[in-house]
Amino acid sequence: MKSSVFAGRVSKEVTRDPLSYIFCLGFPIIMLAIMSLIDSSIPAQANMTVFHIYNLAPGMAYFGLTFLMLFTGMLVSKDRSTALLLRLYASPMKAINYVIGYTLPMIILGCAQILICFGAAFVVGLCQGYTFDIVKMLISFLMLIPSLLMFIGVGILFGSAVGEKAAPGLCSIIISAVGMVGGIWMDIDGLGGVIKDVAQALPFYHGVQLARLPLTNNYDSFGVHMLWTVGFGIIFYVLAVVIFTSKMKKDTK
Amino acid sequence: MSAAIEIINLRKEFGSKTAVNDLNLTVNEGEIFAFLGVNGAGKTTTIRMLTGLTKPTSGDAKVLGYSILTQLDEVKKIGNLSPQETSVAPNLTVKENLEFIAGIYGFSKEISKEKANEMIELFGLEEVENSKAKTLSGGWQRKVSIAMALITEPKVLYLDEPTLGLDVLARRELWKAIRLLKGKVTIILTTHYMEEAQELSDNIAIMVKGNLMATGTLSELRAKTGKENLEDIFISIVEG
Repeated sequence: MKSSVFAGRVSKEVTRDPLSYIFCLGFPIIMLAIMSLIDSSIPAQANMTVFHIYNLAPGMAYFGLTFLMLFTGMLVSKDRSTALLLRLYASPMKAINYVIGYTLPMIILGCAQILICFGAAFVVGLCQGYTFDIVKMLISFLMLIPSLLMFIGVGILFGSAVGEKAAPGLCSIIISAVGMVGGIWMDIDGLGGVIKDVAQALPFYHGVQLARLPLTNNYDSFGVHMLWTVGFGIIFYVLAVVIFTSKMKKDTK
Repeated sequence: MSAAIEIINLRKEFGSKTAVNDLNLTVNEGEIFAFLGVNGAGKTTTIRMLTGLTKPTSGDAKVLGYSILTQLDEVKKIGNLSPQETSVAPNLTVKENLEFIAGIYGFSKEISKEKANEMIELFGLEEVENSKAKTLSGGWQRKVSIAMALITEPKVLYLDEPTLGLDVLARRELWKAIRLLKGKVTIILTTHYMEEAQELSDNIAIMVKGNLMATGTLSELRAKTGKENLEDIFISIVEG
């Protein structure tokens, strides 16, 4: 009950912030359109498939989740800096109520964001003469859920661990890392070397590849991608709960 | 009159600094009790300990019989706090802020709506009820903050510097609202405005650097110091 009431307040705070729409919806859709234009300009002989709509759609949906992390981090850190959380600390709410309350609306927003991104990709695909298989798209959607939870966890973690000014900065580092080694608009396998090693050590490349598997019909590395994505998801989420709880205890010491 | 709060040797140290020094006092049920003191007197730290926001270094306090050390969950259920700083959800309307806090304290959606309407009427918030909290002036935000504390039907209400930074008119308006609660709820108020303590409180505790220097009704403090107004009483007690 307390968690759902708090979740209701969080979703109102986020959906009433116009920046949420610009970054969480507008930016990924605009990028999708731009990248599709780039794709149409690349000659077929180049054999560059990374910008093909079936690769781009799950990649952009994944990238959009990083902005959800940014918003979660900003919201948690902002709440911690205001007296609203002080008032709530004096209420019967427990740490777990806060964490669930922050997570639930972000899951719903994240799912909506993925579906809207896929919807836009479907339309772009049709314009390019490519028709997505809806079932495969839904499976890809499900493959993005562990990453969604991981990014919410990272947002709560950064928002709890550092202040209002530092949290967006840390989230931006993750967004840049996803851009560089996530393999969304760069063929990591083709690059090889240190970049590939770094990409494979982090969860982003695996998360993107996992979402792409159903749409490319290539489940060869499913186990590794799933293990890395779910593993990091659990690690970051558990860390978020631990850090939020310990910060709450420290704030009321 | 029975005791709402019994504070027993309550102490808080931050490193080598003693913020509250073995405080002992009793607050009666239904009264407005003011902690008066300059900045750093230990007023807010005392309230923070009574509401579970700060753990005491030693000592205890019983809020309606519940210990702040061993029965904090019960203490949190029967009290509510309006902190010194603005403590409203900025993107929620006044009505939503009220319903939000009622929901956190376990009231159903329907009851929360009813109680929100009651608070809006009690505090005269009708003209701003659908405005987002972040768009309100400081005075309105304070009113909303106190209404948010009161909507949960607390038996003990803590108001930490409720009129800090408000203009004269907003302060008077807020005093009117606080006076309406007299006798219905036990109110613990911290302030460094002499006039505010004099106007509102039944009992006053004067604190200096964490120490309780004097406590009693205004007449008792007058008799003790031989001074008429609270400012002179305060200076007389503080300067020893």
